[in-house]
Amino acid sequence: MTDSQRAAPGQLQADLAALAGAIERMGGELALGEEPSNFVAALDAGAPRD
Amino acid sequence: MTDLTLGELASAIAARKISALEATDACLERIARLDRRLRAFITLDADGARARARALDADLAGGRRRGPLHGVPLAYKDLCHVPGLPTSCGTRTPEYFTGAVECTAVARLTAAGAITLGKLNMTELALGPFGDNPHHGDVDNPWKAGHVSGGSSSGSGTAVAAGLAFGALGSDTGGSIRLPAACCGIVGLKPTYGRVSRAGAMPLSWSLDHLGPMTRSVRDAALMLEIVAGHDSRDATSSPRAVGPLVAALEAPVRGVRVALPENYYFDGVTPEVRAAVEHAARTLASLGADVRTLRLPDPAPMIDVCNILARSESSTIHARVARERPHELGPAVRARLEVGFHISAHDYLQAARLRARLTRAFVDEVFGEVDAILAPTIPEPAPALATVTAPPVEEIVRRMGRFSRLTRPFNGLGLPVLAVPAGFASDGRPLGLQIVGRPFDEASVLRLGHAWEHAADWRTRRPSL
Repeated sequence: MTDSQRAAPGQLQADLAALAGAIERMGGELALGEEPSNFVAALDAGAPRD
Repeated sequence: MTDLTLGELASAIAARKISALEATDACLERIARLDRRLRAFITLDADGARARARALDADLAGGRRRGPLHGVPLAYKDLCHVPGLPTSCGTRTPEYFTGAVECTAVARLTAAGAITLGKLNMTELALGPFGDNPHHGDVDNPWKAGHVSGGSSSGSGTAVAAGLAFGALGSDTGGSIRLPAACCGIVGLKPTYGRVSRAGAMPLSWSLDHLGPMTRSVRDAALMLEIVAGHDSRDATSSPRAVGPLVAALEAPVRGVRVALPENYYFDGVTPEVRAAVEHAARTLASLGADVRTLRLPDPAPMIDVCNILARSESSTIHARVARERPHELGPAVRARLEVGFHISAHDYLQAARLRARLTRAFVDEVFGEVDAILAPTIPEPAPALATVTAPPVEEIVRRMGRFSRLTRPFNGLGLPVLAVPAGFASDGRPLGLQIVGRPFDEASVLRLGHAWEHAADWRTRRPSL
């Protein structure tokens, strides 16, 4: 692998900081009762009525 | 014969006009002639396919038809575990995915009478939208040599478009069914999250992975989905919701169906030809009676951030062993993308999972209160030249990956059903792509709209010159 093909350490840190920053900004709005499994419930709630 | 759709071939075999062996030999002859250039297959099981075809022909002669795909040759992305064949997942290790249970989707297609031709090339570990592969060769675009096939289900897209197989399975974590479908001018369906079992398929991201059909017509996609969809106790995310008839629902009129063209994001940065093709599809559906309107969609940027956190954390966890113990075996872009995931905190991962639920609920309530489906481009430009998009440095390759898949990724986070259908051709002959997005578990509506559009268009029977 050549140097030009390696991910620069600075780029990795920048990617991580951007992702963490985005989550930090949005996460402050979450209520205590919001949990990951609500995703499946959201799909079920949005499905056509049989 | 290889120009037939899957459904047409199945009917011809059932009517004894074509034998399963003739269909299989036609595919094998075409693979022998074309695949040195196209590189769609990683593993070809010619002997196994011929043996199976002979057995199916004997069954039919004895009055036994196994199912709706009796005698139809198919092929599967090389992350589906098929007993007796290696599963490389696009890595240089032939048996990368070992100890797996049989892929449920493949097992259901086999039970319906399909013949397995072999395993199809893919982007290494399904991590990339272009279809390049340092170990098995870059999959070529059948419409324009030297251009990307789309990825990561690259071999699936090219094999179906080139008539090497009558249909294929792909997987889609950020667009990996829809991108090659668009680049290769075929149909690809990412079903609702939970609709099709992922048991026996290599995971990339448990939260975002979907399996689905890749075919030459919308009807074929409906037929394959009817067979592979439905609950599977071997996949904990599999939905118990009934599938319902999909092929029979195709001919229902689209009159009155409410369809949105997005006002924001989805036309930003797309080429004029792409925009014109999608707008033409919208006008065509309107002429058939659909209620087409413009609509501002919730900003996809937060969901893309959420998807990046989920996908990178989960893929790094799943593939930690090769990434940490044998990183030299991985391509530089794949290695770079896996590396990020090792540094994401549990806090951020869980916050992303919670945000995903909130964003999905909001999107479904807001959008599907107004319309029944959304039309959008699948790719921002026709398949680009492979040498251009894979030129170093690696940071730029990763950025190009993000730009090329920016229109498909939000719908993996949302878990919605999306049909990718051809939208016509650019002036130089490269295919253009349209996505039709539906409400959760409403594959029937996106298939119906896609079928209506496909039959109103004049390019439906066009095939690449090979």
